[in-house]
Amino acid sequence: MVQNHHGTVGENKGKRPKFFINDHVDILIEILKRLDCRSLCVAASVCRLWCTIARNDSLWENLCFRHVSPPPSSVRSVVLALGGYKRLYMGCVRPVRSRLGRVRRASWARDEVQLSLSLFCVDYYERLGGGSNSNGRLVGESSPSSLMFLCKPMNV
Amino acid sequence: MKRDHREISGATDYSSGSGSRVDSSSIGNSVKGKLWEEDQDAGGMDELLAVLGYKVRSSDMADVAQKLEILEMVMGTAQEDGVSHLSSDAVHYNPSDLSGWVQSMLTEFNGPPTPNLDSVLANSDSNSSNPQHQQPNQSRVFIDDSEYDLRAIPGVAAYPPPISYPDPESTRKRVKTSMSSSGSDGYGSGSSFSSPQENGIPGAVTESSTRPVLLVDSQETGVRLVHTLMACAEAVQQDNLKLADALVKHIGLLAASQTGAMRKVATYFAEALARRIYRIFPQDSLDPSYTDILQMHFYEICPYLKFAHFTANQAILEAFATANRVHVIDFGLKQGMQWPALMQALALRPGGPPAFRLTGIGPPEPDNTDALQQVGWKLAQLAETIGIEFEFRGFGANSLADLEPEMLDLRPPEVEVVAVNSVFELHRLLARPGGIEKVVSSIKAMKPKILTVVEQEANLNGPVFLDRFTEALHYYSSLFDSLEGSGVAPPSQDLAMSELYLGRQICNVVACEGMGRVERYETLSQWRTRMEMVGFSPVHLGCNAYKQASMLLALLAGCDGHRVEENKGCLMLGWHTKPLIATSAWRLATTETGK
Repeated sequence: MVQNHHGTVGENKGKRPKFFINDHVDILIEILKRLDCRSLCVAASVCRLWCTIARNDSLWENLCFRHVSPPPSSVRSVVLALGGYKRLYMGCVRPVRSRLGRVRRASWARDEVQLSLSLFCVDYYERLGGGSNSNGRLVGESSPSSLMFLCKPMNV
Repeated sequence: MKRDHREISGATDYSSGSGSRVDSSSIGNSVKGKLWEEDQDAGGMDELLAVLGYKVRSSDMADVAQKLEILEMVMGTAQEDGVSHLSSDAVHYNPSDLSGWVQSMLTEFNGPPTPNLDSVLANSDSNSSNPQHQQPNQSRVFIDDSEYDLRAIPGVAAYPPPISYPDPESTRKRVKTSMSSSGSDGYGSGSSFSSPQENGIPGAVTESSTRPVLLVDSQETGVRLVHTLMACAEAVQQDNLKLADALVKHIGLLAASQTGAMRKVATYFAEALARRIYRIFPQDSLDPSYTDILQMHFYEICPYLKFAHFTANQAILEAFATANRVHVIDFGLKQGMQWPALMQALALRPGGPPAFRLTGIGPPEPDNTDALQQVGWKLAQLAETIGIEFEFRGFGANSLADLEPEMLDLRPPEVEVVAVNSVFELHRLLARPGGIEKVVSSIKAMKPKILTVVEQEANLNGPVFLDRFTEALHYYSSLFDSLEGSGVAPPSQDLAMSELYLGRQICNVVACEGMGRVERYETLSQWRTRMEMVGFSPVHLGCNAYKQASMLLALLAGCDGHRVEENKGCLMLGWHTKPLIATSAWRLATTETGK
């Protein structure tokens, strides 16, 4: 979009616009950090740079803990080991928040995250597969009663 | 067995519960003041009704009320069907003798067309408005908000059939319809009973007198089905196997007309009854991994096991609050689905994770697959991922009573805090004499800081078969209803496997006896008594557990009908008003300080 703009006004000004957001990645990150999930996904389809930034897990970490006081640092290592914040958000936090939306109270925000983490861990365990457990159970398989199977397969 | 009118009829004007009070809108304000007055039974007749010209014995009040309800249903049905059975001439009985009149009206319905209620009403001069007021109010009485509440299955016990059981099919059917008409409590099942009270049974009976096998109304046959099941169980109890055999076949027919949960429950119970009659006991030495698979599907589809795991984990987490080394002994490891969440919570504990040791107990392996070790390996992988020191040991044992505490390599409590967890395992020990005592002493030897017990909430360990059957019917009907209500599309593997899982339990409860009957559930209060007797004191589960459980339920789709209840520190999960499983936590009553 920015490049188009560049193209249309180019002939008028004959030089680059004064401000090109892609030159200022740190500002871009700060902006993208504050977006909600949908906008972030939309932003990821703007250009390659934005896509790379949007895939950065730290942005999703912000989304997960947005309404909650920052968690201890140990959380990050666990979450990253279990599959990353984007997966946590898309697989657990988002469904938890949307489903609990109607009965939500402000004090539940922290518990929601904790519950999401637990379910995330259970999901990881189920995905480990092996043994008589049905390791063919993909994330995409729909089973409305279990949280883990709410989302389509994610290309994380 | 009698419908408790006082409970339901708060809003109605006509109510009767054990004959203690009567209220009718047309009686007027003077009577309303007498609402709570105890009944005078000087002449045996209820005084208030006597004022209106009806002679009803106070002792008969509830009975009469119930029959009036049935009559009301009949009237309603007849009008709904458009068949005006009421248009023929009345044969009047003495309407002031209310109980006799109602009885005669009801028996009339089994045969020729009924008397004209309207003309009867017209004859009761000043009181014409009274019964009419009663009827719409009675229809409100029927609104049973817990339509899954199998309040009463009168069977033969409460309402002995007027005819004993001769052989002819037709008579038996008439008997059943009269039984079903006299016991009209709604047996609710999600799909087949949207309004059990409206299409009453007797309405169709008039047609069925000519066609004995009448499957006109699936709701009617639903109630008939329940009654047949009960009658069959009673026959089995009385060792009248010929009758039971005939009834079982009839159940099959009736079940075929049903849909949904009702059909499945009836089919499983019929099969179990048939097994009991023909003494084809299911072999219980089935591949244990098969049961595990079935339970996995059950885990996926409904919240009971998840609830159990989360609430037990919360109790264990709180007990492990400050420990550096923890040891969990799981009496039924299965696939180990409970432990990832606990491990994650321990990993993110504010003070850092403790060293986590898990001892899992499971059935012995028939072949060399060693499922326990595989589960342990998976858990170890998870532990490594999230950064917890993990140790696993698996034990195969046919029964928990075979377990010796020395085998478990217990370490002193100062070094290691122990938690014992049992999900649906303790009730099996009740099958063996001395089993539960042995296990309790083993548990005490383990010196746990906390013992979490999750059990089904039903009393299936009574001495009388019929009672167990009734209770099981009630319990599994609710359970199957909740499966139906989970919103999963029918051709789902999870649903089918879960039903199979429950079906096997039903089979065990109904068909097996003695040591083979391992599904001996007991209620929370029974377990409480038992645990307190052997020296445990309760640990309250706390609001965190309650909050987690509520959140979990709010999350899982199709859980709208489920309720979490707190019961003296224990949590129960149920479907509508019926609690189905209960989690409780215990500690040794004589814990010394410092543990």
